[in-house]
Amino acid sequence: MRKAKKFLLPIVAAISLVALAACTSSGSTPSGGSTSNAGAAHAGGTLHLVAASAGGTLDPQVNYTLQYWQLYQGAYDGLVTYARVGGSHSEDIVPDLATALPKVSSDGKTYTFTLRKGIKFSSGKTVTTADVVASFQRLFKVSSPNAGSWYNVIVGADACLKTPGSCTLDGGVVADAGTNQITFNLTQPDPEFEAQLAMPFASIIPAGTAAKDLGTSPIPTTGPYYFASYAPTKALVMKRNTYFKSWSADAAPVGYPDEIDETFGLTAEAEVTAVENGQADWMYDTPPSDRLVEISNKYSSQAHVNPLTAMWYLALNTNIAPFNNQDARQAINWAVDRSSIVKLYGGTSLAQPACTILPPNFPGHVNTCAYTKGGGSTWKAPDLTKAKALVAASGTAGQSIGVVVQNDSVNEGIGLYMVSLLNQLGYKATLKPLSDNIQYNYIQNTGNHVQLSLTQWYQDYPAASDFLQVLLSCASFHKGSDSSINIAGYCNKDLDAQMTAADTQGVTDQKAANTAWGSIDKAYMAESPLVPLFTPKLVDFTSSKVKNYQFSAQYYMLVDQVWLK
Amino acid sequence: MSQAVSEDSPAPAPRSIGPWRAGLGQLLRNPVAVTSFVVLLLIVVVCLAAPIYAGDIAHTNAFQSSVTATTLIDGHRIAVLQQNKSGLGLGVVPIGPTWNFGGYFLGADSQGRDVFARLLYGGRTTLLIGFVSAVACCVLGAIVGLIAGYFGGVVDWILSRLLDLIWAFPVYLLAISLSVVLLTNGLRIGPIDIEPDNLLLPIMIITLIYVPYVARPLRGQVLSLKGREFIKASIGLGAGDWRILRREVLRNILPTVIVFIPLMTALNMLTESALSFLSIGVQPPNASWGTIINDGLDLLYTRPAVALAPGIMLVITAVAFNLLGDSVRDALDPKAKLRGSI
Amino acid sequence: MILFIGKRLGSAILVMFAISVMVFLIFFATPGVDPAARIAGRGASPEVLAQVQKTFGFDQPLPVRYGLMMDHLFIKQDLTSYVNVGEKVVPQIVQATPVTLSLVLGAAVIWIVLGLGGGLLATRFRGTFVDPLIMIVGIAAVSMPAYWVGEVVNLITQDKLHSTVFSWVPSLGYAPISDPVQWAAHLVFPWLTLALLYGGIYARVLRAELVTAMSEDYVRTGRAKGLSERRILWRHALRGSLSPVVSLFGLDFGSLVGGSALLTEVVFGLPGIGKLTWDSLQNLDLPVIMACVLYSAFFVVAANAVVDLLYAVIDPRVRHA
Repeated sequence: MRKAKKFLLPIVAAISLVALAACTSSGSTPSGGSTSNAGAAHAGGTLHLVAASAGGTLDPQVNYTLQYWQLYQGAYDGLVTYARVGGSHSEDIVPDLATALPKVSSDGKTYTFTLRKGIKFSSGKTVTTADVVASFQRLFKVSSPNAGSWYNVIVGADACLKTPGSCTLDGGVVADAGTNQITFNLTQPDPEFEAQLAMPFASIIPAGTAAKDLGTSPIPTTGPYYFASYAPTKALVMKRNTYFKSWSADAAPVGYPDEIDETFGLTAEAEVTAVENGQADWMYDTPPSDRLVEISNKYSSQAHVNPLTAMWYLALNTNIAPFNNQDARQAINWAVDRSSIVKLYGGTSLAQPACTILPPNFPGHVNTCAYTKGGGSTWKAPDLTKAKALVAASGTAGQSIGVVVQNDSVNEGIGLYMVSLLNQLGYKATLKPLSDNIQYNYIQNTGNHVQLSLTQWYQDYPAASDFLQVLLSCASFHKGSDSSINIAGYCNKDLDAQMTAADTQGVTDQKAANTAWGSIDKAYMAESPLVPLFTPKLVDFTSSKVKNYQFSAQYYMLVDQVWLK
Repeated sequence: MSQAVSEDSPAPAPRSIGPWRAGLGQLLRNPVAVTSFVVLLLIVVVCLAAPIYAGDIAHTNAFQSSVTATTLIDGHRIAVLQQNKSGLGLGVVPIGPTWNFGGYFLGADSQGRDVFARLLYGGRTTLLIGFVSAVACCVLGAIVGLIAGYFGGVVDWILSRLLDLIWAFPVYLLAISLSVVLLTNGLRIGPIDIEPDNLLLPIMIITLIYVPYVARPLRGQVLSLKGREFIKASIGLGAGDWRILRREVLRNILPTVIVFIPLMTALNMLTESALSFLSIGVQPPNASWGTIINDGLDLLYTRPAVALAPGIMLVITAVAFNLLGDSVRDALDPKAKLRGSI
Repeated sequence: MILFIGKRLGSAILVMFAISVMVFLIFFATPGVDPAARIAGRGASPEVLAQVQKTFGFDQPLPVRYGLMMDHLFIKQDLTSYVNVGEKVVPQIVQATPVTLSLVLGAAVIWIVLGLGGGLLATRFRGTFVDPLIMIVGIAAVSMPAYWVGEVVNLITQDKLHSTVFSWVPSLGYAPISDPVQWAAHLVFPWLTLALLYGGIYARVLRAELVTAMSEDYVRTGRAKGLSERRILWRHALRGSLSPVVSLFGLDFGSLVGGSALLTEVVFGLPGIGKLTWDSLQNLDLPVIMACVLYSAFFVVAANAVVDLLYAVIDPRVRHA
């Protein structure tokens, strides 16, 4: 159902926009009003969101938090985007500022887009091909997090990474103002390039935007809202972009609330109370476990539970004792009682035991379980006998192990369970809880000699390589660096080659490639550098005012599609 | 409160053995002092019995997470952590107080551990940290106060600025900064290697931040003693510095130091719990009353007993130490005042 | 006198300098705090990481970085956060100040009333049950962990009795004084919680001072002249006993305004200096930590200096001590 409705309004007026919102959204939301009048009736009001703390810089080319990516959906647009609709269709890439999906050359190295005409930034300026080129240059100039890992396939990117100041991407991003065409030339085919262009980093912003992380100063948007103000200790305010005319129901639906505010500073506990009392409409943070029962029983109509494509896992440092021993690593995978950990996370309705690196319903996922008592394709129970035998065989019993976790109650709880379990297996384990903000970088640096750590990985986009290649390839491992996302430090040349092959295969035959990814997942699990624990589910808790809740697998609740009326 | 009121002259006079014995006699006749002492003794004995309760009565391990544990209630085996089955089925709730010493007297915490057993073990930790750091504070404070006050000059200037520094560095900030560094990697000074979960770390942190509380008033006291006739006389007689410090000055400030110990113990126990509340004090799976309160705050709405019980114990103990401290003060040195006038 | 002021000022500056160096060194001694990787984002390639280090000046030697930070904080006043890039630190402190002031001033009024009332009553009714009763209450107040009291108060007012007696209690947080009713409603429980501890301390201190004063010569003389006990207490003893209380108040007020009410602010979600400090420590956001610590140290040092100065004016001997 990928239709790009084009309603060109002669007059830009808020009221007619609202009427339009109804027409365009009704196509993608079966639960929505079936007549245009019903939609208009739902527009208006101010949506109050609450979050414990701000998400850092507001610059879409730098920010790497789900908190703001969720809000960017109603603000920034790339050439393509993930469809901004609920349900399974939300994982489809649709044309956004481009008129259609790109024409890809047969060698997979050239992507050609045609830019839509007549779209304006919230500053009133028209979007041109020059803005597109400038946006991609700026991506390198502001040191966008994935500039060196995703966008480095563009011709000229190497020079930009070396000397960002003089970045031109000459020959890499070519604009033709006459035909309104933009061509990307890549150094090698990349099956995920289209997905990477759909990410907020590749948002199109005005040429001439300062080439530094703009932090708290908002950058003009193309979507239905613009950022009116941002103070990280107080609030973020989004207001209607009066220059916005919807050009596509899937990529740029008109939003319902007139204004969207996100206020910062309440604890998760206080956020729940605020939503219950209707002072806030939605909370960003996970509701604390203490309040789950109350939400589940008293406010069940206001809670929405959705599975995520994510993984909570233990990373075993394969370069130092005891986990440089494969038997010791496998012992942990056998021993961990996933059902206990699910209990610590909030129960069976909130998490599902995991056995594979690729989460369920993710490209390449195969139902298989290498480490479960009694065998089978799903996890059933731990096998402590086998684990103890493996520890004995490895000769690592008696060694001390530090368990490094974040210091919030859920992570620390799981950490405590791990300490008890490791002691049961004959190790001498100690818990090292660290502040949420430093733990992630701390466990990556080999200089800190972390042996076992608990962490999470949430997808960027639905592709197997976003889990396997990111978390386990040799290229993701950097000795002595705080940025070495292969936390296990595991490098297997053979599997690395298989991943490259699967990647290449994906350019032509995604289905066969996914099968290959499934067996690569299995091969890694046999080596046991990671211990997948569970696949989490997300609880969205909304106020009684909120209607038309829709969940996108990519960016979660569609904030601007919520009805307040 | 004791009725004993200062009839002494403002500065302490030279003392002989007499006042000590008199002070002890006064304490023993003071019902407040005796009651608080007995209460403290009871708490200590009960906490020391923690392994007996955990091992022989409740058969539980207070430090091992017991997510899958079960317990008998009215003849039924019940999971200690119960999955919510109503509504959307979200959440897991630990069982509440059973009021049965056979197990989970005060219920379970979110790891399925027996809260009562942890309360007893936690009491040991809290009392240990409070008392040891109070003694350390008083010893260190006395040494610094003695040296600074007696020698004066550059020594005094340097020590006083150091005290200023610790004093002006906001207490929690100092503790938090030190904890973040120390708790990440432990402390390594030469051959001494203290692991991050060692109780010595919170003890050292608390001792350090409260040294000025003790050192400053003592320095003032030494300063005024130095001007007194009997010290001048000793100096005139050619006695060595150390001899004077030991025989004359120390003996005169000792009652004040003794008075400070119970008062500092109460203060340090409260500080320990505050640090644990900010999760920078005692490290899990170790228990202290502060860490149990902290665990309990995550269960405040469903299982308030987990946070209330250790809080009440903490208040009772701190009140007892403060009352005891006041009585000791009345008996030994009514003028003794900690920095902060507590 | 001028020499004394100069000396105090000099040592105050020295103390603040030493504190800033300590904070800086402690921060960089902590493993995993290098802000570069956090700013760069997860999975940043080594080139991007190096770029970030260069842009933010993290590749320069520590003394240079210290100098730059002080320059941005005090002279240019445009120091920005490492976590919320672009967020200036100085305005954050400026915004947090009225919240802390509201909390501390309100609480101070309550604790002074409680403290003076308790101390006077206890002295007036010495020998009856009132005195020990007040003093026991005072000791209990001093012996309660403030954060625990705060959480219990929240449990009662926000949850257990929120549907009945405390339905008027707004959700946690702060409301500006432009709406005085909301302002007071948000702050009344934080005030009471904070005032409990200090009220207990002040009642005890005042009683001790009064009891000492009541046995002084001038009081005995007054009694001999046949003045009433009440008149002696109010006119003579209280006047002499107030000066230690006032100086204590100066020290407490200074440190509280500087952020020592951290626990109360955190528990009640008040966005004051203490909460800002705590949040910045959680985030390990050095520029904000540095600003908060220096702000708070300034108030502590200043309060000490003012109290000392007042003493020096009253008692010339102190100047030479």
